[in-house]
Amino acid sequence: MTKEEKSAPLTKLPDVCVRCATCMAACPVSRVTPRFPGPKQAGPGAQRFRLAAEASVDDWIDLCSGCRLCDTVCPAGVPISEMNLMAKAKYMDERGRTFRDWLLVRSDRFGEMAARYSKIVNPLLKKKAVRWLLDVLLRIDRRRTLPAYEYPTFRRWFRTRQAPKGSGPEVAYFYGCFTNTNETDVGKAAVEILEAYGLKVIVPPQHCCGIPRLGVGDLHGAREMGQRNVDSLLRTVRGLDILFSSTSCGLMLRHEYGPLLHLPGAEELSGRLFDISEYLLRLHEEGKTAATFQPLPMKAAYFAPCHLRALDIGLPALELLRMVPGLEVSMIEAECCGLGGLYGFKREKFSIAEEIGKDLKEAVARLKPDIILTDCEGCRMQIRHLTGLRVLHPVQLLRDALERRGKPDPKAC
Amino acid sequence: MRRFDLIVIGTGLAGLTAARTAIGMGAKVLIVGRGMGALALFGNTVDLLGEIPPATEMAEGIARWIAAHPEHPYARTGWEGIEGSIAAFRELFPLPYPFVAPSRGNTLLPTGAGTMRPTWLAPVTMAAGAAMTPSETLIVGLRGFKDFQGDTVSLHLQCRGVTLSLPRYGLEGLTAPAIARLMDETSFREGLGESIRQQMAGERFIGLPAVLGLRNPAAVLKTLEAITGARIFEIPMLPPSIPGTRIFHRFREELIAKGATFRMGHPVSGVTVKEGRCQKISIPNPPLVADHRADRFILATGRFLGGGLWAEMDRIVEPVFDLPVFQPGERGRWFGGRFFDPEAHPIHRSGIVTDTDLRPVDAAGRVVIANVWAAGSILAHHQAIEEKSREGIDIATGFLAAKRALAS
Repeated sequence: MTKEEKSAPLTKLPDVCVRCATCMAACPVSRVTPRFPGPKQAGPGAQRFRLAAEASVDDWIDLCSGCRLCDTVCPAGVPISEMNLMAKAKYMDERGRTFRDWLLVRSDRFGEMAARYSKIVNPLLKKKAVRWLLDVLLRIDRRRTLPAYEYPTFRRWFRTRQAPKGSGPEVAYFYGCFTNTNETDVGKAAVEILEAYGLKVIVPPQHCCGIPRLGVGDLHGAREMGQRNVDSLLRTVRGLDILFSSTSCGLMLRHEYGPLLHLPGAEELSGRLFDISEYLLRLHEEGKTAATFQPLPMKAAYFAPCHLRALDIGLPALELLRMVPGLEVSMIEAECCGLGGLYGFKREKFSIAEEIGKDLKEAVARLKPDIILTDCEGCRMQIRHLTGLRVLHPVQLLRDALERRGKPDPKAC
Repeated sequence: MRRFDLIVIGTGLAGLTAARTAIGMGAKVLIVGRGMGALALFGNTVDLLGEIPPATEMAEGIARWIAAHPEHPYARTGWEGIEGSIAAFRELFPLPYPFVAPSRGNTLLPTGAGTMRPTWLAPVTMAAGAAMTPSETLIVGLRGFKDFQGDTVSLHLQCRGVTLSLPRYGLEGLTAPAIARLMDETSFREGLGESIRQQMAGERFIGLPAVLGLRNPAAVLKTLEAITGARIFEIPMLPPSIPGTRIFHRFREELIAKGATFRMGHPVSGVTVKEGRCQKISIPNPPLVADHRADRFILATGRFLGGGLWAEMDRIVEPVFDLPVFQPGERGRWFGGRFFDPEAHPIHRSGIVTDTDLRPVDAAGRVVIANVWAAGSILAHHQAIEEKSREGIDIATGFLAAKRALAS
């Protein structure tokens, strides 16, 4: 047993923090605003004064965007973001959540409906009057581009498509709400590439992972969402590996259901879950795929989302992209895109998200890429908003670059 | 499970140097750290051996030091090893942000405590501090910025000092990374330069806290020097260290570009050693534990702050491989009587003893694990704090450990 394991309970205590301030070098929020005191102060610093029986006074705690970068740099193993999250939950439980927050975390519920009526909904969401109303009534910032809905949804596409013949080993796919109703091509690309790698894809019943609820400190709601997923996924995919293409959903499913939310069955589920690029890369390394890529001479820039860093699996998508001949891939040297999920949609936080995003925008301007690739839907939304460039999930580009026997693929970009 | 040629444990300067050296030799490298290492703490300049008087040539001073300290990590690398590894480090920082050696011996540079501190290499943004004279220097503090007390610095250095407001309202209470980031903006640094100029009384040197830009410090320096007509220098201060963060980012950028795999945020929780060789390490990310296999391992986990050494009630242990640790004697004697004792606290003599190839050995001098090497401040028989040799040991032994490991 190592020293870390022996002292595991200790790491929950703020006194493990030696006040070294390394986390301050990583926090994207305190780097752009003095309104948030930063992870050292907001986490272990304030934690020493927090008592369960006393009312919360952390008026700034809601400014933590939940990126978790502080956790990745702390040399003492302090669970900083968890402390922030718990404090935020207590604060929000005491003060109550707004109707906006209630609505936004339920986007999975109205998403299916919005997708079905996307021909009406999408133009409405672009109307100035509608945005003005959303801004004034709900404080959803009118400067933020709202994502368009797509129909048919990914789920419907998957159900109604002609599945390819042949039988490989089965894997399950967790697509996530945004893929289902707003970025269906990510799901299609995931399925197509997995099939090209010789796997048979099943799409089990699933719900929103619940991470938006964590964003508003609603642990109870997150637990409910999580338990539904644990139960239904374990029931339907027994024995199968489950791949996710959204790093935020993946982080929630794999690392928050158990250690944070203590959901029964979470640990079993966790061992089955893999990031899709992590999985594909492993197939290459173990020599289990013959998939190759055709030349794709273009200049791409890759951005590593914060939640991918929290997954701590390296940069598997980048390694896969480097297998595409002719594709020149550079890393975008920025710490965080700034969106923070729903965070950047909120009027009081829009300017923080924009300011954080500025660093990324400048990093992209230095690289001058033809295309940007990143694993998180939030980052993709924000990078499109910041740069106006084409932004895809890495599997979309990999799918297009797949060497297919027969005629060249017209979709190749 | 992935297999690597080399796994480096530790993301401080020693680990980063080892990983970069190995990548340069064509190896497939995984670097893991439970945090981002100590660079954000005290990474500012590159010390080789501050103990050597400034008038002495470094090569000569180190040669004499090695002769007098045959167990010191520098005795393993020799002056040639130090020189080669420092040259490699400097290649990573080309113009416009090079690390420079202002003289052939140690150079004294001002610190945030208002003292003059000997060092060997400094980033170009600090170099002018070597030439400053009290009567010709203005120290600039920033209002509301707690980590640098300009008044204290100017008082101790016997210079004139001013405290200026940042050229934009509502920024009081900003942290060092926040100010450094704003400095990357042309209009912001021009505003600051202008307010400095208005306060000048013919000074030729201006000292500022080390927050002159995260991404483009050389451009910040250039703007400020153009506006003030004086030579500008950064002064190292309390953590988080902006110059250290720049070093970390540069290494990370380079390592990822060259194909290294980076894991950060979780400690190594277990190792599997069979027949005297390490086969794999385990890293938890609760509730999962991932195993990583490699042919060779470099341990560069630092000392107590980085978690490389661990003090139990009666002895010091190394938590990853449970390697033999050179002990500082009985507990009652671990610490000297005064915090700033000029003699190092005995506890700081503890660490890992190695053979000439930097492989950890036991008390009898036998190699403990055939494919494990140690580098950086975790090594025994140095007193990096008092000697002022931290970065030199990190770079020289990180470099050597990678060379030796890959030659095996």
